[in-house]
Amino acid sequence: MRSKKRIIITVLVCIGIGLLAYFAWLFPFYVFETNDFDTSIEKLLSFDYLKTLVPLFIMIGLSAAGIIMIVLLRRMLAKSDKKFSRFADVRTSRARGKAPKQKPAAFMVIRWIVMIVSAILLIWGGLIFGMGISSLSIPVLSCPWNTEEMTNSSCYYLSHLNELFELPIGNILLFFISTLGFIFVLGRVICGFLCPVGLIQDIMDKLRKKTNTEGIKMNEKMYGAITPVKWFILLIFIGLCFAGGNFCNFCPAVAVSPILAGMSTSLYVSGFLMVLVLMGSFFKRRAFCMVCPLGTIMGFFHKISLFRVKKDCQSCTECGACYEACPMGIKMIYTERDKADVTHSNCIMCGECVRCCPEDNALSMTFAGKKIYTSSRKKIMSGYEEVRNYYDDKKG
Amino acid sequence: MMIKKAETLRQRQDRRFINKETQTSAKYLRRLKELSGAPDGMEPFYDTLERIYVDMDYAKSGAYHHTVGTYCVMTPPELIYAAGAMPVKLCSGNYTAFSVGDDIAPRDACPLVKAVAGFKQTGLMPVYEDCSLMIVPITCDCKKKIAGMLSDRCEVVTLHIPAARNDEDIEEFTRQLYSLMERLENVTGNQITYESLSYAFRMVGYAQYELSEFIRLKKQMPYLIRGSHAMAILNAASYMTAGDWGKALHRVNESLKTRIDGRKTVTSKKLPRILLTGSPIVFPNVKIPLLIEENGGIVAGDETCMGERGMWDPAVITDNSFDGMMNALANRALRPCPCPTFADNSQRIYRIKQLIKENQIQGVIYHVLRGCLVYDFEYRRIEDELGKLGIPVIRLESDYNEEDIEQLRIRIEAFIELIKLKQEPEKITAVRKSF
Repeated sequence: MRSKKRIIITVLVCIGIGLLAYFAWLFPFYVFETNDFDTSIEKLLSFDYLKTLVPLFIMIGLSAAGIIMIVLLRRMLAKSDKKFSRFADVRTSRARGKAPKQKPAAFMVIRWIVMIVSAILLIWGGLIFGMGISSLSIPVLSCPWNTEEMTNSSCYYLSHLNELFELPIGNILLFFISTLGFIFVLGRVICGFLCPVGLIQDIMDKLRKKTNTEGIKMNEKMYGAITPVKWFILLIFIGLCFAGGNFCNFCPAVAVSPILAGMSTSLYVSGFLMVLVLMGSFFKRRAFCMVCPLGTIMGFFHKISLFRVKKDCQSCTECGACYEACPMGIKMIYTERDKADVTHSNCIMCGECVRCCPEDNALSMTFAGKKIYTSSRKKIMSGYEEVRNYYDDKKG
Repeated sequence: MMIKKAETLRQRQDRRFINKETQTSAKYLRRLKELSGAPDGMEPFYDTLERIYVDMDYAKSGAYHHTVGTYCVMTPPELIYAAGAMPVKLCSGNYTAFSVGDDIAPRDACPLVKAVAGFKQTGLMPVYEDCSLMIVPITCDCKKKIAGMLSDRCEVVTLHIPAARNDEDIEEFTRQLYSLMERLENVTGNQITYESLSYAFRMVGYAQYELSEFIRLKKQMPYLIRGSHAMAILNAASYMTAGDWGKALHRVNESLKTRIDGRKTVTSKKLPRILLTGSPIVFPNVKIPLLIEENGGIVAGDETCMGERGMWDPAVITDNSFDGMMNALANRALRPCPCPTFADNSQRIYRIKQLIKENQIQGVIYHVLRGCLVYDFEYRRIEDELGKLGIPVIRLESDYNEEDIEQLRIRIEAFIELIKLKQEPEKITAVRKSF
């Protein structure tokens, strides 16, 4: 009975998403009189740039208001309902002090640098360095409407397959070779390291951690419920072009990259979705990555990618810290006890599991068989050096 | 006249109880001290055990005005420290209390619970009497009933331990920790805040870091420390604050490190390396590790919940909000715990295999306290699994008395001889590469 209810809800959600995607162009979120795709470095420095950024400010404002409202609502509920007492403000609002935190690993620092550099390149790269390699396609969710991005994004032709096959054969081959080449060498490292939407979501997560706000803890059931939605979005992504729609009206990435590059772009449902992505990723790290159609496509090739997550099943104590830390909710990483390779199709190679693993060498990231990041107890415990007792401190 | 006589009888019983209790504890402490090869810096641990069991003193120290008794490894000490109380592990190994508890608890109850019942009955042990609250995770039927018995002397919180470790179970356990938090606050009068909880995480984390260093040093070949001494250290952790214990352990680690430099080891002989697993071994019931080491073996690994296993896994904060920290506590309490109370406990076998590999174990002694059903159930499976690896296992059933010592000695002696016979013709004990 329960499963029947779940199926009905899933089908309804999918139909809703489908209709929204199809009729997205009817619901403008923010419309300029004309879409002005011209941009230059001078424009970026001029006052006009602020005008093109208006939709971005609206989105940031809306998501900030949404986040604050959710937090306040939760606190109000906490006062009346015991079930929500875990969000009781008495403990969190005066959240002084710092939770023990390990020293940043080189891997994580590099990841952040690469993410920021790649976001800059994918947004303003063309303007700064020219369009030398713009015919290459990277499977990354950075909007190709931004004509100034350093390289092309595969997402445009993947969501406009009918247009792809009208291109000259050379371009088709270049598209497939570069896309597949990147997938083979980098795999979903693209999600964890290069994707600008990923960077935005990680920044939101950092904001939450800085403010010590409670997130939303996902469990197996919720991840399970999201999976069919993920597949349906992939179907829309590939199929909408044949039904006469346009996925770009629906894609949240449209709302970021072209606007930042100085193009005044009208936003349809995409802008509204971006607000949801910002809010979602504040409470749940990498919320959009769970349904990202491009990530799903890259996941098909997870078996051939050169980056891998390896596990030494002998040293694992099944403490589940990796699962708790994983933004994608991959449970297999801690239940696996035979295979050394635990690369999952959902894995975005963010390295969070390795960072949180307290057993020496139990988890590691490898590139072409070489270890690049290994778990260690010493690193985990590097944040716990203080021995003082809180109540002793208070007295003295 | 009658009343006076009754009083004197009670007093005489009490005096006899105290005498017997202190004598046995002092005896086992002396045997531990007499065992050769102890590292420097063991004094704080011996002193603690002596203070609690021989001098019969309180455990609390410093700014802690309350002690909270805990029973199994599932109780998160961080929460108790955050409330401003000191956690004390009350699982007992006391023979004298056992003989009292034998009359109260049913015949088939396990001796650990009988000993706790005995202490409760006499009301003489200050560590027990001092507790403002007792937290009893329901890991077996005996624990469930003892929680009921204890509740007419002291406030008791029970923690329901689920049979599996799924996400829902962890969530349910987190909710229980939240209600436990309220109870703790009521008892101590302090509020658990984000700040105090993160302080507590640091304190316990520091102790756990020192423990992991200690175990890393303990694994070294040839041995730097005997298993019985390690057990004394880990048993003393029950009655010391995590900060004090960590500091004392740090000194032991330093002295072990100088042993590496000076190439000093416990013994020059090649002793059979034995893994001790099964029911908890609580001071003063340390007869089995003592018998192993007095008969020429060495307890190279121990997989018991009062030993290495109990404090090994740290609570990893993956989300630094208050709720995230509570989740980390619930996660640590259940997921890595190889307690046989869980229906599917195959991870314990992996843990044992891991210890066998890391410590180059040659034989496994499976300790079962009489009446400890959950551990006894798992013996068969572990025997099968270890049989595949060609590692000898024996099951030692013991009770909290000294009557079975000779019988245990014969079996342990024979087991050690068996291992020696096995290792002699090969002359090598190479590291096992794979399973």
